[in-house]
Amino acid sequence: MNGASCQDTAPLEAILEKYPREEASLIQVLQDVHRAYHYLPCDVLEKVAETLDVPLAKVFSVATFYKAFSLKPQGKTIVKVCMGTACHIRGAGQLVEEIQRLLAIGPDETTPDMGFTLKTVNCVGACAMAPVLIVGETYHGNAKPAKVAKALGVEGKHHAH
Amino acid sequence: MISLSVNGKTVRVPEGTRLLDAIRGAGFDVTTLCDHPALEPWGGCRLCLVDVTRKEWDGWCKMVVSCMFPAEDGLVVLTDTERVQRTRRVVADLLLARCPDTPLVQKVAARLGVERTSYAPNPEPTDCILCALCTRVCDHIGVSAIASVNRGAGREIAPPFHDAPPDCIGCLACAEICPTSCIPYETSDGSRTIWGKTFEMLRCTRCGRAHVTKEEARHFAARTGVPESYFDLCDACKREDMAKQFTRLSEGARTSP
Amino acid sequence: MRIEGKAAFEEAVRKAREEAASRRLEVLVCCGTGCLANGSQKVAEALAAEADRRGLSASVGLFTKKTGCHGFCERGPLVVIQPSGTLYTRVKPENAGEILDKAVSGDGAVTRLLYRDPATKKPVEKYDEVPFYKNQTRVAMRNIGKVDPADIRDALAHGAYRGLVRALFDLSPEEVIAEVEKAGLRGRGGAGFPTARKWKAARKAPGEPKFVLCNGDEGDPGAFKDRSIMEGDPHSVLEGMVIGAYAVGAHEGYIYVRDEYPLAVVHLTLAMEQARRWGLLGKNILGSGFDFDIRISRGGGAFVCGESSALMRSIEGKTGEPRQKYVHATDKGLFDCPTVLNNVETWADVGAILDRGGEWFASMGTAKSKGTKAFSLVGKVKNTGLIELPMGTTLRHIIYDIGGGILGDRPFKAVQTGGPSGGCVPEALLDLPVDYEKLTEAGSMMGSGGMIVMDDRTCMVDVARYFLGFLIEESCGKCTPCREGLKQMKVLFDDLVAGRGRPGDIERIERLAEGMQLGSLCELGKSAPNPVLSTLRYFRHEYEAHIERKACPAGICRDLTAYEIVAEACNGCGACAKACPADAITGEKKALHVIHQGKCISCGACFTVCPSDAIRFFPKAERPEAASGGLP
Repeated sequence: MNGASCQDTAPLEAILEKYPREEASLIQVLQDVHRAYHYLPCDVLEKVAETLDVPLAKVFSVATFYKAFSLKPQGKTIVKVCMGTACHIRGAGQLVEEIQRLLAIGPDETTPDMGFTLKTVNCVGACAMAPVLIVGETYHGNAKPAKVAKALGVEGKHHAH
Repeated sequence: MISLSVNGKTVRVPEGTRLLDAIRGAGFDVTTLCDHPALEPWGGCRLCLVDVTRKEWDGWCKMVVSCMFPAEDGLVVLTDTERVQRTRRVVADLLLARCPDTPLVQKVAARLGVERTSYAPNPEPTDCILCALCTRVCDHIGVSAIASVNRGAGREIAPPFHDAPPDCIGCLACAEICPTSCIPYETSDGSRTIWGKTFEMLRCTRCGRAHVTKEEARHFAARTGVPESYFDLCDACKREDMAKQFTRLSEGARTSP
Repeated sequence: MRIEGKAAFEEAVRKAREEAASRRLEVLVCCGTGCLANGSQKVAEALAAEADRRGLSASVGLFTKKTGCHGFCERGPLVVIQPSGTLYTRVKPENAGEILDKAVSGDGAVTRLLYRDPATKKPVEKYDEVPFYKNQTRVAMRNIGKVDPADIRDALAHGAYRGLVRALFDLSPEEVIAEVEKAGLRGRGGAGFPTARKWKAARKAPGEPKFVLCNGDEGDPGAFKDRSIMEGDPHSVLEGMVIGAYAVGAHEGYIYVRDEYPLAVVHLTLAMEQARRWGLLGKNILGSGFDFDIRISRGGGAFVCGESSALMRSIEGKTGEPRQKYVHATDKGLFDCPTVLNNVETWADVGAILDRGGEWFASMGTAKSKGTKAFSLVGKVKNTGLIELPMGTTLRHIIYDIGGGILGDRPFKAVQTGGPSGGCVPEALLDLPVDYEKLTEAGSMMGSGGMIVMDDRTCMVDVARYFLGFLIEESCGKCTPCREGLKQMKVLFDDLVAGRGRPGDIERIERLAEGMQLGSLCELGKSAPNPVLSTLRYFRHEYEAHIERKACPAGICRDLTAYEIVAEACNGCGACAKACPADAITGEKKALHVIHQGKCISCGACFTVCPSDAIRFFPKAERPEAASGGLP
């Protein structure tokens, strides 16, 4: 099977208990699965399709349609740079460039040690604090390239200048 | 019955008729790519766009896809206004950029006045026009083995995980309905392969022809309630049997007192 | 705790008010996502811990409270002291002690933390006197910043659910709709459809069940009013939905919250739990016999799911593909049932309208756009944040009087409204009264209320290209004009900003734009050309410069722009070299610095930081050696 699988189905059992077994629960289930596994493992998706009685093709269609979902394992810390209009004109692009310099990864890529995944995301609604950098669950407003290393916790480490 | 006008010609149609059928009934043609008589209209290709107005709208028109818009009493339909033609041409032009080497697309575009695309041609030309007829027919027969994957410019039709689709029954409905024949399949002696999945065919017990896959037989038996033994004979042999029965019956009728 | 009947409700409100009054001093800390991004969580914790340590709740009745977004995000973290109304800005955790000292003593304020008026340079102590707040009329955002969104009693003390009580006990469903019609309420999500008309259609539609939905998908980049309402005053949304459900005869509802707003989901969920316990949601609401309950549906990260039919498909567990809406959702919507979908702000307005009357709401605004509107004012403006004003307020008033003018006092260039479906409004139209019709006439639209202010360091071709880039990622891909059209439009724009524009490109763009506007299936594709067409309308000369002279007048497009230091003006401070991400500037302290053209990436960081106006930009095409990197 193409796509990354996992072995531990225990978290999945707990999730499936929470929702009615029907198509309308699909996206909520996938979100909980994504939060538990940090991505959507293919064998878990098969189980979801079976339990909710939704054809696997449709589950895969939904999993690939929505940006919230990754079918590949992601890094421990997700780094998001908001690309909303306010952030764009206040220098979001330079934040991305700085992260690329520090971690040697581009958008949607993960560092080889699975430490970080970089994502460019749509407006997160903190426009007055543009540009916004989110490291894990922490929001950093008015982010400047010079402050990125500290926000990532990699000060003094990689500097691919 | 309701009455509407198409390009100046009055037509009467039953209530609930969709505009496309009313237009064709009036003798005018509209090109479509994603429409099919066996399936619910989808409204994705946008080639069937027409302008509609009403007397009380004082000349204001709106453009609608005739495959989905319901015919209304008193509707005034104009299938070839300047802006309708311009829009169709843009659609055809965009399709031609996406599928520059596809004969059907070239033909449709040429018919609409677009000989070459004015846009950047697809660096990876495809024959798929994303009309979704394949996924729609697969849903219609209750299988749903393939679906649209990704969104936007990356959208494509694929089986789950781009792997052999577990639910596919190898019926070839998708390949046969595809207007550009871009779904490849292979049927060789006793086996069939499509979407990377290989099926074992059932052989007709009389003529020996490989005629359906095991999975097809099982699926349609379950859906219609006929026993699986229904598929012991291929369609041709079944028809032969049926013809013989009718002949016997009619002979019997003639000779009975 | 469960309230049954009007009298019991009045009693519960009375008790809540008493409790609120017993909190003689309140320290309100803004914990909306904006201030949180600036560290307000630690400020709140520091204040709470210090107040606790000093035993202030017992001794002087001082309580700290976390509230939703106050709106003045630029100056956050924000703290407000009540009842004095003192507003503190840019508060740090270490300020907790002195803030509490002054609050308790009642003797003045911590002056250096007060807002300072840039015009008078004097500190302004009171919230109500700060220009940003003074000129606002808050209806949808009436309680945000005042109430603790995690405590329903606080909401009740501030008027929540009064509108619902009137609707359920004093009015028939038809009368409720009539009140909303009198108010002239129009959808606050962008389209501005008359709300009463939508409700009437749903009420009339045959079939059961019926649904009322809340569109919390706020996808317009630059807009965050819905987030603030859902996070900061969730009960205003719940109340509106119960009233709407009563009006149309629905018993089930969904709030669709975009994936990017996790805090909103938390606050709404908590508010719903509390509302159920108090009998304000669920079975037999307030003992009236009316049942209605709500579920939250989270989006999966798709801007297109802000479109009503796509949103409904998403709730159904499907991909967010819009459908042709020849049959209205009020007849066949969610699960093919009659459905009313309204925006968060619209629902927040409903409760106030039922409480204070449609006439009151209609007394504000313009002839066709009644009431107030929330705006998120962001971009190159001094006071960025969330504001609510009567419809008809001019752009100039919003940007200059409330917004404080352009950041760095640079020249104003345009204000972008309506998100990716909107357009840019130039300086000549600054006196435009903001309402649905006027913005549309100007080639833009109201949209969600996002207002992105742009200065002279904004390239309008780049702005249009930015929105195309955004929409390309968001198009569902179902219809040809949008899916292929956006792709091809982006190709044309990529060429423009890279200096590959050809004569005739503007006509090509316009032809494709028309095809997309007329041919696309849904509003995403239909309105995608708006930013392009509006920037062409008002800034055509910029497009022509990109094509004919391979120049970017604003100096933003990197492939077309070179930077150099003007010898006469440079004082050798070195700020540019420090800011340069490419190590392209060298120079001794206090001596002339030099930009090495071969290394310069034209990002403009040096230009932004130079305090002496010593850096100038010019088209690369004018210095052939510059383009080839031949200069030292």
